[in-house]
Amino acid sequence: MEVKLLTEFYHLEEFRSLEGYKKNGGYLELNKALKMQPQQIIDEVKASGLRGRGGAGFPTGMKWGFLPKNGEPRYLLCNADEGEPGTFKDRMMMERAPHQLIEGMIISAFAIGSKKSYIYVRGEYDFPIECLRVAVKEAYAAGYLGKNILNSGFDHDLDVYRGAGAYICGEETGMISSLEGLKGQPKLKPPFPAVQGYLRKPTIVNNVETLAAVKYIIRDGAAAYKKYGTEKSTGTKLFSLSGNVKKPGNYEVPLGYSLMNLITQEGGGIKAGRRLKAVIPGGSSAPVLTADEVAKATLDYECLSAMGTMLGSGAVIVIDDSQCMVDVLGVLTHFYHHESCGQCTPCREGTGWLNKIVHSILEGRGRLQDIDLLLKVADNMKGRTICALSDAAALPVLSFVQKFRDEFEFYVREGRSKVKGTTYAEMHH
Amino acid sequence: MPKCTINGKEIEVKDGATIMEAFRQVGEPIAHYCYHPGLSVAGVCRLCICEIEGNPRPQIACNTAVTPGMKVSNKTEKVKDGAKWILDFHLINHPLDCPICDQAGECGLQEQYMEFGKYDPEMAEKKVKKHKVVDLGPSVVLDSERCILCSRCVRFTDEVSKTHELGIFNRGDRSEIGTFEGKKLDNKYSLNTVDICPVGALTSRDFRFRQRVWFLKEGNTVCTGCSTGCNVKVYFNKEGLFRVKPVYNEQVNGHWMCDEGRDVYKFVNRDSRLLQGKKKSQGVWSEMSPGALALDAGNTIKSTPPAKLAVVVTGHASVEEYEDLLKTFQGTFKTANIFHWLNNQESFASFDGLLIRGDKNPNTQGLKKVLAKNKIQATWSELENLLKSDSIETLVVVGPENQAVYPDFAEKISKFAKVKNLVWLSSGGHNDFTTLPHYAWLIPMKTFVEKSGTFINHAGLEQKFQKVTTVVSEALTVSEVCRLFQGDKTLSPNPSRTATFVEASRSQDLVTLEDRKKNEFVFKRGPL
Repeated sequence: MEVKLLTEFYHLEEFRSLEGYKKNGGYLELNKALKMQPQQIIDEVKASGLRGRGGAGFPTGMKWGFLPKNGEPRYLLCNADEGEPGTFKDRMMMERAPHQLIEGMIISAFAIGSKKSYIYVRGEYDFPIECLRVAVKEAYAAGYLGKNILNSGFDHDLDVYRGAGAYICGEETGMISSLEGLKGQPKLKPPFPAVQGYLRKPTIVNNVETLAAVKYIIRDGAAAYKKYGTEKSTGTKLFSLSGNVKKPGNYEVPLGYSLMNLITQEGGGIKAGRRLKAVIPGGSSAPVLTADEVAKATLDYECLSAMGTMLGSGAVIVIDDSQCMVDVLGVLTHFYHHESCGQCTPCREGTGWLNKIVHSILEGRGRLQDIDLLLKVADNMKGRTICALSDAAALPVLSFVQKFRDEFEFYVREGRSKVKGTTYAEMHH
Repeated sequence: MPKCTINGKEIEVKDGATIMEAFRQVGEPIAHYCYHPGLSVAGVCRLCICEIEGNPRPQIACNTAVTPGMKVSNKTEKVKDGAKWILDFHLINHPLDCPICDQAGECGLQEQYMEFGKYDPEMAEKKVKKHKVVDLGPSVVLDSERCILCSRCVRFTDEVSKTHELGIFNRGDRSEIGTFEGKKLDNKYSLNTVDICPVGALTSRDFRFRQRVWFLKEGNTVCTGCSTGCNVKVYFNKEGLFRVKPVYNEQVNGHWMCDEGRDVYKFVNRDSRLLQGKKKSQGVWSEMSPGALALDAGNTIKSTPPAKLAVVVTGHASVEEYEDLLKTFQGTFKTANIFHWLNNQESFASFDGLLIRGDKNPNTQGLKKVLAKNKIQATWSELENLLKSDSIETLVVVGPENQAVYPDFAEKISKFAKVKNLVWLSSGGHNDFTTLPHYAWLIPMKTFVEKSGTFINHAGLEQKFQKVTTVVSEALTVSEVCRLFQGDKTLSPNPSRTATFVEASRSQDLVTLEDRKKNEFVFKRGPL
């Protein structure tokens, strides 16, 4: 059952504009927050148990607490790169409720003492960028940005920065590099961004949804936020449901919601005559779940983590039994091969190697040892690189091969798909 | 000064030292490609992973600072397996160019493969194809397929030469090194990128395909290109010298040398040398052995009155040779007409900020010191006056080893040619000498590579260098010639003059030969 916390007014066309936003409770929380102490806001966010909604699920209040307390200038970066395949929730928010994001950002910036923030949006998002730019202009004109916001003495400037087509710029240090004008390549950690980030100053990078949620924590209080969700995964989350469901789209549900229900109730279920085969629960980097595992899964960080996968960005990709898993894996390995930045060797060479092996199998040239080779290569890409793209590329390969090995073996032996019966050329003519 | 345990050995390291430096301190350096002590840390090759107790994830040694009580090991199965796989990842797209690659014998990938690889590759797919034989500039050639994208060359052009010509283009395994639009890799330090490249991706056009490195021996000496006196090593075999590379010296040149200094071997090789003594008598040239020629010239010098005897010296000889020269001419022949040939003094003070100085002589300071010690104050204008007034009967010239940096060479020869007897001590075979009309003695000399001595660089630092090899065995050193001038036929060097090579202050950054045998890539395994 959906909850309309963040998405309460998304159905209203006018919610995009400042006027429509204010009519429906806009910028009241900003007013309230500016009258609080910054540390109060940080404590409230900590108490609410809000975790990063972009993929890693790191407790937001704790991240804010890593900043030095010495008044050094610091930056707030909103990660609107939304590169994880299957994720399109932030886009909806930027298109339908840009002011919601802006308000959340100003409150968060006030809490951490930042005078400048950026929204880094992926370059492909033409329309969301336009919506954001219009909204930022409106906010400046109305005095919600700029000097002495609402007479509180707090100055804040916000800029919308456009990316240029790199998944790796969604990685926090990759984004910082890109924002600095360098190639969007991740930096070595330590030092962590909260200590040394954008322009070597303390920086907080948060996802769009995380920052927007701050508004509601201020409005209702941490205790009310904790009423949604589970003990360790509090609040609501936007899930982008896609794949072989009747009603793909973005749905806001409380954390801890049953994954099967999301697919069958909100998603309308699988097409007639087909059965659920697999679900990728948290964006393409999350290990895949078989249909049996899906039945037992709830959408929260702990359960999915215990099942060997992750909640990630909340992109639920539903795969039914008409899909060839080898083919699906080929799409994913192609993506990671294309998006690896090329800095460190295991990822740069490994993503290419994995892609080549999977496509060899798809084109009928696979050898039986290739299947074990996929497992070995993927296993050895993990944990040895600068950023997590290498792990993100390796995990789907490992999970697909381990859980759907029969399809891979069939394809290697017969040179065609077990499910579709056809060759690669016929599948993608 | 935190204490830590490296592979079971407990040591104390400097504050802020990284694990990589700690490993070097215990004498077990970790294999690496992208780390270089003269450049910033990139941490991209991932080969230097090690296991820190208490940390489930292997960490790279080059970027992790040592904390007190840290226990690090790179001998666990996890690390060895990890390093083997990382080497594997480096090799999967690496072309099989060893038979035609210059770097064979001193290649980082070959070293590590022989060290802990030696397995059959499991990669059965097609390798990535990239550009080969790309001219990055006038002296460096790039082969993108061999490149392991360690980014050392890019960091070099950004941080050391500060010329920002190189960058990495494209993403992922399609990445290639290249120059930015409109730029060429033509700065004066560009060949250092060839040194630091661990594989054969960047090669020197000058050295390309000329010799296999296992046929080369190496010897340390001091560069004579300018007054900086960078410490270098020359590579040679019986056919001559092939290339020059820098040796780390914290005080003088750090890890680098300039491109001009790389050409110093060219005036040492036989094809640019004076091989036989030549005597011109009554307009007719004849050849004589250098020793006999020097004795013959000595007779003429002895019979010249001291006031009509003059000596011209360049800054190319060693301090010991200058001392012998002064002992002979000031002491034995009693002349004070000793002149310092300064080739382009106006630019002596120029310095490009990194290594290249305007004084293209290695030992100007040494010569000045020896002249001052012996109270010789003759100036060049006095020489010019003496020449103009035909007051010089015999002129002895200790010529430069490298004629190219003496732009006034031809002009000076025509001036010197006015005297009756010209004794020219030259290592190079110059064509200009055929026009000398008077009595002339051309004595072949040894170059800096063939003798031991001391140079004093621009900052007054004394650097002793040792003989590396002999290229022209008949040639003589200035000291030997001076003895022959006096009629003394002993050619053996003065035993009290055995010079020792003072090794550059060994900081932790300097790679020892034992290190190189194990893990660094500059090692050749000796003659086949």
